[in-house]
Amino acid sequence: MRLDAVRGVASYPVLGALVGPPPATETVRMNTLRSVATAPIRGLVLGALAVPVVAQFVLTLVMWGPAFLLSLILAIPPPIEAGRALMNVWRRLIGALAGVDIEVPYRPPPPRPQPDADGGYTYRDRIYKTDRMPWLFRRIEAWGEDPANGRDLFWTLTYPLVAAPLALIPAALILTGVVAPVLGYPLWTVTVAAPGIAAGPALVRLSGAWSRHYLGPVPPRVQTRKVARKRWVERNGLILVRCAALGGLGLLAVPLLAFSLAAFALGFGLGMVFLIPTAVEHFRWLANLRRGLARDWSGTPIAVPYRPPVEPELRADGRYRVGRQLFKSERMARFDARFSQVWRDPAVGRDLLWLILDPIVGAGAALLPVVMVCYGLWAWTVAAVMALFGFPHDDWYGAVAGNVVAAIPAGLALTAAGIWLARRVLPWHGRWTALLLRPTKATVLSQRVERLTQTRADAIDEQALEIRRIERDLHDGAQARLIAVGLTLGAIERLLDSDPDAARQLVAQARETSAAALAELRDLVRGIHPPVLSERGLGDAVRALALDAGTPVTVTVDLPGRPPAPVESAVYFAVSEVLTNAVKHAGATAIAIDLGHRAGTLRVAVRDDGRGGADPGRGTGLAGIERRLGTFDGTIAVHSPPGGPTEVTLEVPCALSSPKTSTSSATG
Amino acid sequence: MRVVLAEDLYLLRDGMTLLLRTHGFDIVAAVDNGPDLLDALLTQRPDVAVVDVRLPPTNTDEGLQAALAARREIPALPVLILSQHVEQLYARELLADGAGAVGYLLKDRVLNADQFVDAVNRVADGGTVIDPEVIAKLLSPARTATGRLASLTPRERDVLAEMAQGRSNAAIGQKLFLSESAVGKHIASIFGKLDLTPSDDDNRRVLAVLAYLNG
Repeated sequence: MRLDAVRGVASYPVLGALVGPPPATETVRMNTLRSVATAPIRGLVLGALAVPVVAQFVLTLVMWGPAFLLSLILAIPPPIEAGRALMNVWRRLIGALAGVDIEVPYRPPPPRPQPDADGGYTYRDRIYKTDRMPWLFRRIEAWGEDPANGRDLFWTLTYPLVAAPLALIPAALILTGVVAPVLGYPLWTVTVAAPGIAAGPALVRLSGAWSRHYLGPVPPRVQTRKVARKRWVERNGLILVRCAALGGLGLLAVPLLAFSLAAFALGFGLGMVFLIPTAVEHFRWLANLRRGLARDWSGTPIAVPYRPPVEPELRADGRYRVGRQLFKSERMARFDARFSQVWRDPAVGRDLLWLILDPIVGAGAALLPVVMVCYGLWAWTVAAVMALFGFPHDDWYGAVAGNVVAAIPAGLALTAAGIWLARRVLPWHGRWTALLLRPTKATVLSQRVERLTQTRADAIDEQALEIRRIERDLHDGAQARLIAVGLTLGAIERLLDSDPDAARQLVAQARETSAAALAELRDLVRGIHPPVLSERGLGDAVRALALDAGTPVTVTVDLPGRPPAPVESAVYFAVSEVLTNAVKHAGATAIAIDLGHRAGTLRVAVRDDGRGGADPGRGTGLAGIERRLGTFDGTIAVHSPPGGPTEVTLEVPCALSSPKTSTSSATG
Repeated sequence: MRVVLAEDLYLLRDGMTLLLRTHGFDIVAAVDNGPDLLDALLTQRPDVAVVDVRLPPTNTDEGLQAALAARREIPALPVLILSQHVEQLYARELLADGAGAVGYLLKDRVLNADQFVDAVNRVADGGTVIDPEVIAKLLSPARTATGRLASLTPRERDVLAEMAQGRSNAAIGQKLFLSESAVGKHIASIFGKLDLTPSDDDNRRVLAVLAYLNG
């Protein structure tokens, strides 16, 4: 077999049979002759096609009229469908005449809509009785996405200008050659008609190839180039739009500054002091917007620096105290607190300075590339091209130093420089915004102190509550039961001789009571610090929790060491709470817990497939977790859209101690 | 019967030594830390070991780890683990090798001397004894509604729960008011439903309990 195959490839007759019979020389010559002879005529017909194609173009525009001018969407399909049928006729005709093969590029139509369970037809946000409208919408959508439509239209418009004249050249040359002797140029017969005859097939083919390019499917190369070009335009366009928006917001500061100045003038000049806080606060929305944009657009996150005004303190005599001032009404006290904030909060002065400088520095920087691109493109390049056609121009418009031609490259260069600059201006702009709008070091520290005070208070409260709970549990539980055991033992002692049977019963009772006391102590210990946590660490403790959940829970642990014991404990109870919520309230049937430590932060993600809609603002459980984790600067994030799934993420910054030793296990 | 005892609290160790001696056990070693325990298990090769989970020097699960290490050296070395708390996690780890001869009980169970001694004997005989508290957690409705146990009838689940606590067919029948042959039929049905091929019967009991723990 193998040998045969090798011989088969090597020997000519077999190979010849594979590629088909060699064409007879005679047939080739006949084909060439026929092709040369018919080329001028085929070209003529191709040229003549321009007339119906122009008619089609005009007709299409007329038929589109009602659809677009009167918004009659029902009028959209007929011209497209009729047009496509006609386009297919052109494809076949041109293909046959020019000897090219033009594939039909149209995407298959979308499937007819299927009725819903209740018999209606849904499209977007509406239910329809019949499938007529939904199907119409779907088809229009599909047409909109099909690049063939635009290419068809482009071809209809340009065929009479490019392909038709190209196909007409051979016939025109031959005609000139025929007519020339009559006009007295006999030599032209040869010099003009001969190239016309010789080049005929090539020109007709070229015309056909051009049609094929636009009537056939989009070649893949064009596709990727187009996508890349579109992306480049989108990206740089977006950058320019953002620059323009930042510039616009910068200029918006001018009227806001005017308002502030007016408020100051009235406040200090006419004593309308109630206007002063407004004068420094009314533009905070703009400053906060710019902080957000600096993060989203320039990659520079900026924290909000404002310090909250002092909370008035209600004294025993019914007056409110702010600093060393006493007020009768709470409103006045609050106003005074807000008023003194104007002098005490460094963010106020920095905000004002920013309001003054940003229209110059920020807006100037942001608008520079935009102006460069616009000026280069419109005032130089386009205007210069128009000036070449006789439109007026001056030194700054359509000309560089009076030179119209130089304005075109100069304009393009300026545009390119603008695009180049825009990309660099955005990050710089973010840094500029941060310079004045970020909190000062003092503010950051004072915010930190505030937070620490709060979390410390929370932690102490929490601890006190916990100790109270333990005390109560011991007092009402184990302690009481041990007393009962002691009493029972006393009774047994008395009954031992007189009534041994009763004594035996009491022994059993004493044993039960002591067992109950033990069970209670066990639960109590578990609530204070679960033994499995100290024995195995967080990973296995969470695995143990998962096993007890009563719902399938998958646990993945990636902890190269152990977090500090208090963190372990807080996270353990937090996970326990979240797990209980998922099982009890969300009705989850599958839960995944992911424990990991990265970049100095312990991170636990709990995902469930429950009904979602958990509100961290409501349930006391989540608030409790937040307080507990807050002591360690930890956070809890709840993402729970109605209908689920819910994802709860706990994050606590902490370091891990020595690598884990024997906590790995195959279970879980 | 030769017993190795590991317990770090002197009072408990003494009490348990006394308890086991009065029931005719021979205490060959009573140790109070993990390394000594492992050493005693490997050199003495007792008929059964009674071990506290938490032992010095680390005061973590040293006892459990020493017992597991010894069972890797001496397969199916009978070990009864005692603990102040019970975790399914530990029960699974003990049963994971499928060799049986394992017990896992709350320390409270020592209070009932007869039951405790019974458990020690059953473990020494290669049986499996899991604390009722672990079993109770397994009986939660959410667990029994899903997974492999869903195919069992409530009666079969009851039998399996008793089996996990190490009871013999006769004892299960007595507890559930069934004839011994009825218990046998239930157990055969459980083995069938859990895809446990007929092999050594004791081993199948362990695997059934393991399946039970794994839900």
